[in-house]
Amino acid sequence: MGLTGLEIFKHLPKTNCKECGFPTCLAFAMALASGKTSLDLCPHVTEEGKAALESASAPPIKLVKVGTGDHLLELGDETELFRHDKRFFHPTGVAVLISDTGDAAAEAAAFDELEFDRVGLHYVTDVVAVKCDSGDGAKYRAAVEAVAGKTKKAMILLCEDPDLLEGAVEAVADRKPLLYAATADNYEKMVELAKAKGCPLAVRGEDLEKTAELVKKIVALGCKELVLDSGARDTSKVLADLTQMRRGAIKKFRPFGYPTIAFTSKEDPLEEIVQAGVYVSKYASIVVLKTAKREHLLPLLSWRQNLYTDPQKPIAVEPGLYEVGEVTADSPVYCTTNFSLTYFIVEGEVENSRIPSYILSVDTGGISVLTAYADNKFSGEIIAKAMKEVGLEEKVNHKSIVLPGHVAVLQGTLEEESGGWKVLVGPREAAGIPKFAKEKFV
Amino acid sequence: MIIIGERINGMFQDIARAIRERDGSIIQEWARKQEQNGARYLDINVGPGSTEPVEAMKWLVEETQKASELPLCLDSTNYDAIEAGLKICKRPAMINSVPAEAAKMERVFTMAAQYGSEVICLAMSEEGIPKDSESRVALAMELVATGDALGVPIENLYIDPLVLPCNVAQDHGPEVLETLRQVKLISDPPPKTVVGLSNASQGTRDRELVNRVFAVMAMANGLDAAIADANDDELMAAVATARILLNIDIYCDSYVDVFKQA
Amino acid sequence: MALEIQKERYRSKVGEVVLGATKEQGGTRSHTVTVGGESALPFLHFEGEMPHRPVIALEISDMAPGWHPCFDEYYADVFENTAAWAKKCVDEYGADLVQIRLQSADPDLKDRSPEECAATVKEVLEAVGVPLIVVGCGKAEKDNLLYPAVAEAAAGENLLLGVAEVENYKAITSACMAHQHNVIALSPIDINICKQLNILIAEMSMVMNSRIIIDPCMSALGYGIEYTYSIMERARLGALQGDRMLSMPMIGNVGYEVWRTKEANTPVEENPGWGERAERAVLWEATTAMAFLQAGLDILVMRHPHAAALTRQNIDELMQDNSY
Repeated sequence: MGLTGLEIFKHLPKTNCKECGFPTCLAFAMALASGKTSLDLCPHVTEEGKAALESASAPPIKLVKVGTGDHLLELGDETELFRHDKRFFHPTGVAVLISDTGDAAAEAAAFDELEFDRVGLHYVTDVVAVKCDSGDGAKYRAAVEAVAGKTKKAMILLCEDPDLLEGAVEAVADRKPLLYAATADNYEKMVELAKAKGCPLAVRGEDLEKTAELVKKIVALGCKELVLDSGARDTSKVLADLTQMRRGAIKKFRPFGYPTIAFTSKEDPLEEIVQAGVYVSKYASIVVLKTAKREHLLPLLSWRQNLYTDPQKPIAVEPGLYEVGEVTADSPVYCTTNFSLTYFIVEGEVENSRIPSYILSVDTGGISVLTAYADNKFSGEIIAKAMKEVGLEEKVNHKSIVLPGHVAVLQGTLEEESGGWKVLVGPREAAGIPKFAKEKFV
Repeated sequence: MIIIGERINGMFQDIARAIRERDGSIIQEWARKQEQNGARYLDINVGPGSTEPVEAMKWLVEETQKASELPLCLDSTNYDAIEAGLKICKRPAMINSVPAEAAKMERVFTMAAQYGSEVICLAMSEEGIPKDSESRVALAMELVATGDALGVPIENLYIDPLVLPCNVAQDHGPEVLETLRQVKLISDPPPKTVVGLSNASQGTRDRELVNRVFAVMAMANGLDAAIADANDDELMAAVATARILLNIDIYCDSYVDVFKQA
Repeated sequence: MALEIQKERYRSKVGEVVLGATKEQGGTRSHTVTVGGESALPFLHFEGEMPHRPVIALEISDMAPGWHPCFDEYYADVFENTAAWAKKCVDEYGADLVQIRLQSADPDLKDRSPEECAATVKEVLEAVGVPLIVVGCGKAEKDNLLYPAVAEAAAGENLLLGVAEVENYKAITSACMAHQHNVIALSPIDINICKQLNILIAEMSMVMNSRIIIDPCMSALGYGIEYTYSIMERARLGALQGDRMLSMPMIGNVGYEVWRTKEANTPVEENPGWGERAERAVLWEATTAMAFLQAGLDILVMRHPHAAALTRQNIDELMQDNSY
């Protein structure tokens, strides 16, 4: 919501002087709230009032950038509590922890490869967090440099002693690492360091309230690229704090108007991933993990991707000819649309049929069979064209194709448009595919 | 949108007689009928020309509460009668109403804060009902600011932009709709809005048609509640449909029935 | 501005459903399991009540199901013995409930009769003390014969019987009405149909209003999970905001959906980029479960005991009070 009439009215002189052209300050405030006039028209509003009104109209959560170039990580700038109200915008950054007491270079090189491909999508583990466990500034700096040499991705520097941190920051300042963290004990120096090097700064208080207080102090010192840690580490408490911070931000409680960072507390890596999943679900802008194993990261990255998809836009698979199992020139061919959900359900059922088959995924702009049919995006002509594009004639020697049962009406036109292919009308629901295949293809 | 059932009003002959003869069965029947068809509050009005409004109001409250658990809307310009009613209401009630006049706001909002009541606030002053939406909204602002200052939560305030009959005051229609929209910009959380639906069709032909079209138009402009005929099935169906179209209720094929039973 | 803890106040709450019946109540369960009753969004104890924690049902079949070999270490000795399998799920793997899928009734599999299936259900009832969930083979015509037989054989046990769908709900609902069981109302990832189905069931008998468990139709992680997730969040919010036809607890076949995916089955040799299969698969199931817990799932039907253990622990942690 923009500014309300009452909010604006509080900052007006309340003299009803009429110099703005409105009969009362109340009327001016309401006109301003509905965007019908401009604050400039009031010659008597104070600087403080102007600042308050400006701050109130800024977006709920600041956009904070960590890293640079192709690997720039954008955090925050969210407006929703639920993805179905609009969407979530900036996927949670997933960070892997490297200690400066280990082989930082080797671990960083391994980290840099933590990218995954599945179902035509590419997932990236986006952040590396380097922790000062050694207590030695030179050693920490060397580790940070080693990591920076092996990966171009965004970095977090975990070190709460500004003196130990300073050297490391200097080495990689141009990479705009997130400095973790300013606390009640060190914030003045940390703020100085962050400002001097132009780096975003994480803030951690002992609890939610103390974090808010600390943020106020830090903002007053002119540091505004912040990422917040409420200090909680128990799953249930972190969930509550992240929820409070998101709600507070949306209600324009300014100290919470920043992205958040959450740390896992579990030792067992599987427990850690489940815990991290909760934080990804509920408003963490970065989650920091200890495990760096592929089998652990893949599920978490998949959940992140799923949660952050735009509910308004259906996801599509790459249209084309897909092979399910060890196909031969005799294998059956099914056709369907390229709406992800449809495609994968069909693929799953074809797998269940245990008969290796081809699936022709026709480009319908990512919408489902019935919707596409109604919209004239899944027609005999379009399917025939797709068949030609993938050179289906060369792939199989039987010239027959299975049509989804819901669009049985297209059978005639498809046979015609395809130049005489035999069109079998398949089941209406994909779940009928195994039985259908058993009857027709065994 | 919440329907406040309007039928228990002394201006209807059967109610007036019931009050005169202290025949509770009629009151109870109307309470039940309105509730069954989807009313969520019951408006109680002793009617014009009542000789003992305080006693009549108390009696109406007692009888209505025998037949329904719904919250009541105490409709009177006699604030002693309203207070007497509030004292015996089993659950927090709605006060209908107060205009933007200083002394009346003081009395009513203080009472509302004391009894935890919601309040219908009329966008009018000693000078009457303004025409343009800016003036109506300015009066609404005053009501909100005063209510807030006297301890009434803003979500408990229902601004009534004052609907006038569309045959004689047609030019007020668009202003009322604009007012409903603008009122939501007054504060965060914003006050609620309400209209006396039947006023739109006072003296017109086919009153039900006018009422239900106006209801839907007002809902599209954010209307939260309406004092209306809860037993007008076509009105209730239109309101249920508007709630689906405005994405307030989740659709299902039986949505009209669900709305009535909710 | 001082910090104000933001607490939502809802008009209403989720209904409660009791599963199982003890001797005093006419059954033979050692205890009942109640689900639902939430008056706030999942695990937000600071603003409402979660009187009943989400529960985990382990899924079994009434015939050897041909699951991935990784299940052999847990169930190889009991795949052919339904009652023993159920007992193992409870005694060794801590299942709160057991869900039996009457797969063998499928005309394309063993085509076992309703009487034979009912007898199996009775065997399982004798083997375990936890409440039971019984679902058909997925072929409507056959299932409509199973429901009355099973419902009658288990009369008094207050089963959760599945599934009712908009196209086919009368047979199962009648069976539940006649013998006092609860019903799973399944809708195809469609909140409007979900709501309408609940209305249709309740129209058959008002009593069914507190005997419905919603199945919004699970999808696995990576395969449209977010569609179901958002429907569940919308339904749960609707329930809290007073929509009585969405105020039922929810159930999901997490195990069934996850174990159909490539990610649960593909060995690392076939796709090295995905890491080792064993932990990947367990996490695929546990992450799916975790996500749905955040959306309000009350009954999780799972397969892998390790995934179930991880989920149980997640629930333990999330059920800890987080009041301010």
